[in-house]
Amino acid sequence: MATTAPPADATATRWSKEDAKAARKANRKRHRNENAWAAAFMAAPVIGWVAFLLFPMGFSIYASMTNWNGLGNMTFVGFDNYVRLVQDPYFWKALWNTVFYMIGIPIGLAISLALALALSRKIRGRTFFRTVYYIPVISSLAAVAILWQWAYNGDFGLVNQALDLVGIDGPNWLMDPTWSKPALIIMAVWKGLGYSTLLYLAAVQAVPRSLYEAAALDGASGWKRFTKITWPMVQPVTFFLVVTNIIGGSMIFTEINIMTPTGGPSWSTASLVWYVWNQAFRNLQMGYATAMALVLGILVLIVTIIQFRINRANDFSID
Amino acid sequence: MRKMKTAAFAATVVGALTLAACSSGGSSDNASEEPDTSGGTAANELTFMFRGGDYDKLAYETAIDAFEAETGAKVKMIITDADQYATKLQAAIAGNKVPDVFYIEPGKMMGYVYAGVLADLTDYVDQATIDNIWDFGTQAYRFNTETGARGQDGDPLYGLPKDVGPFGFGYNTVLFDKLGLEHPSADEPLTFDEFVALAKDLTVDMDGDGELDHWGTGLNVTWNSQAFIWGAGADWISEDQKTVTVDTPEFADALQWFADLGLVEGVTPSAEQAQTLDTYQRWMAGEIGFFPVAPWDIATYNEKAAADPENFGYDVIPYPVANEGDDWSTWLGSLGIAVSENSANKELAAQLATYLSTDLEAQKILAENKVQIPNLIDYATGEWIETDAPAAGWPANTKIFLEIAESKGRPLPGIWTYTPEWYDNFWIGIENVVDNGSQTAADFLAAKQPEMQMLLDQSWVSADQAKAQG
Repeated sequence: MATTAPPADATATRWSKEDAKAARKANRKRHRNENAWAAAFMAAPVIGWVAFLLFPMGFSIYASMTNWNGLGNMTFVGFDNYVRLVQDPYFWKALWNTVFYMIGIPIGLAISLALALALSRKIRGRTFFRTVYYIPVISSLAAVAILWQWAYNGDFGLVNQALDLVGIDGPNWLMDPTWSKPALIIMAVWKGLGYSTLLYLAAVQAVPRSLYEAAALDGASGWKRFTKITWPMVQPVTFFLVVTNIIGGSMIFTEINIMTPTGGPSWSTASLVWYVWNQAFRNLQMGYATAMALVLGILVLIVTIIQFRINRANDFSID
Repeated sequence: MRKMKTAAFAATVVGALTLAACSSGGSSDNASEEPDTSGGTAANELTFMFRGGDYDKLAYETAIDAFEAETGAKVKMIITDADQYATKLQAAIAGNKVPDVFYIEPGKMMGYVYAGVLADLTDYVDQATIDNIWDFGTQAYRFNTETGARGQDGDPLYGLPKDVGPFGFGYNTVLFDKLGLEHPSADEPLTFDEFVALAKDLTVDMDGDGELDHWGTGLNVTWNSQAFIWGAGADWISEDQKTVTVDTPEFADALQWFADLGLVEGVTPSAEQAQTLDTYQRWMAGEIGFFPVAPWDIATYNEKAAADPENFGYDVIPYPVANEGDDWSTWLGSLGIAVSENSANKELAAQLATYLSTDLEAQKILAENKVQIPNLIDYATGEWIETDAPAAGWPANTKIFLEIAESKGRPLPGIWTYTPEWYDNFWIGIENVVDNGSQTAADFLAAKQPEMQMLLDQSWVSADQAKAQG
């Protein structure tokens, strides 16, 4: 008996294997469908990435190694454009001007943090001030640049009129090589203040109150509380703003093209992107312009990687 | 924190890629909102891309209505902002969406011709039509691809003028009357010495408060010095467009004389006050004696003269020359209307370009609204100068504009070369000569010439390469 009738376990095992096989088949079929859908969903961003990033990037790298006027055919010239770039004094001058504009980043961030700290307190007109500081962010850059151009007018400008009230004889901002870059930095800081302040405000308000209470109990001064609690806790926002501001600052163009369309006195305001644009569209040197743009892109990438490395040492969580 | 880092890194990569990709000129912001610039495909469809103000649009709508009625064509107009036009056109060309008919700057023509973008209109425009357009209006668009020569009659014609723009000179009639000065002649140019003497008479402290209220002149070196340099017999470039000639004694003398108007003679507002906007505002406020007057200024100047007749009135005069008997000249600009070489309806497109350039009704609208002087010689020198121009409020000496268009006008240096980079370079550091006087004109020019020559040589090399590449 025992030998003729299969054990219940064995029958169960045989059946379960068949069931499992059928189930696997059904699963495979179902997964095939799911996989197809998954692939389709994934394809959209991948195709977008290839079409709008990888291809333009590859095209740019190739274009940078060609003699091309942007209209006709390209002629491969290897690294000639890069050699020319190294020997071009105007490239270095424009790069220096672009780097100089970055001075505005720490200034802007310091003012933004101060404003955020002020606006996080319960003061009268807090909403009004928040709105006022944000208005430049949403204003047209072209319109803002024209207004600032007027404001900087050496004779009738609002800036010099204001300085005159406190007895300062203001410079001819946009016509003086010494003051033209600071003038543009002041405008850029003013324009970006609202955005940085908004992010800092959110970060400041997210700092747990218990930390301040504990510090107060330990007798920490206001400055200690700022340096030991607030500053470290808003550091991720600072890092984000520094990175994005460096990228944005490296692409400064519109305000320069409007306020100093010939690159300013002694070429003192010409940024690298302005020079790239001029070479590409005015001087029909698209290949050379692309090489300069790529070098700028790589420099920004290197600076950002360094920032990431430095920042890693101070990794902090605000969760 | 990790999310923040990821976002920052993503922003970096996208930023770097965008920097590189944007310089290739293929894309623009809001690309999906851009109008389709492609040329028409049906037998009677044309696309016309241009830039300009309301009056340009009105004039062209009139011309296009007449053109459509006469030919049965359908014309799609695409108007763009002036400062974005060149970029958009180049993007349209790179994207193979070239409009059938479009504006072209004469200074950029060589590259476009070598790339096979522009159609040769020589066989499409009859000689009588060409003869009735100012010579410069057609010369600006002639180009010999074999020799690289520009502006020569008989060479292939790659465009027709939308306009010719004479950059004239003028004076404040009210200020002259106020100071009891004799008005300058409309027929004979002042000499440099006479000009300085008059400018000194115009530079006065009217109310005795120790501050000057009026100045002789206030000229922007980038746009106003050409006529004076040419008036002294100097030039930026040799006739064959191969040699930079700014290091000649006559050039140095003329530039130094121009700088000394402010630095030595004191007949212009001080360097701090001499920002372009300021001198323009001062001219409009009636504080400047001599100032440029061009057709596109007329409407604004007329409004000012009507609103403030006690301080502002104006008329046109010839530019001063170094010595009595010298020939005066000034620069003459132009914007062209070109046809795509790959237009499916090239002949019809050439017909439209001719219409837009020479249609009498359109020309009347543009001239009546003080946008430009007429392109048509017979109309400009006949009915317009005799009746239409005075009726529309053009100044008494408007004939000087026609004189510039006919014979006194010259293209800006840089227009006849493949790129203007060599000429643009001239202005870098010019403030050291004209504003603060820290450098003499001779020293500045001696240092400039080699740099400009190198860029000019480079321009010719680029032209040869463009020609070889096609």
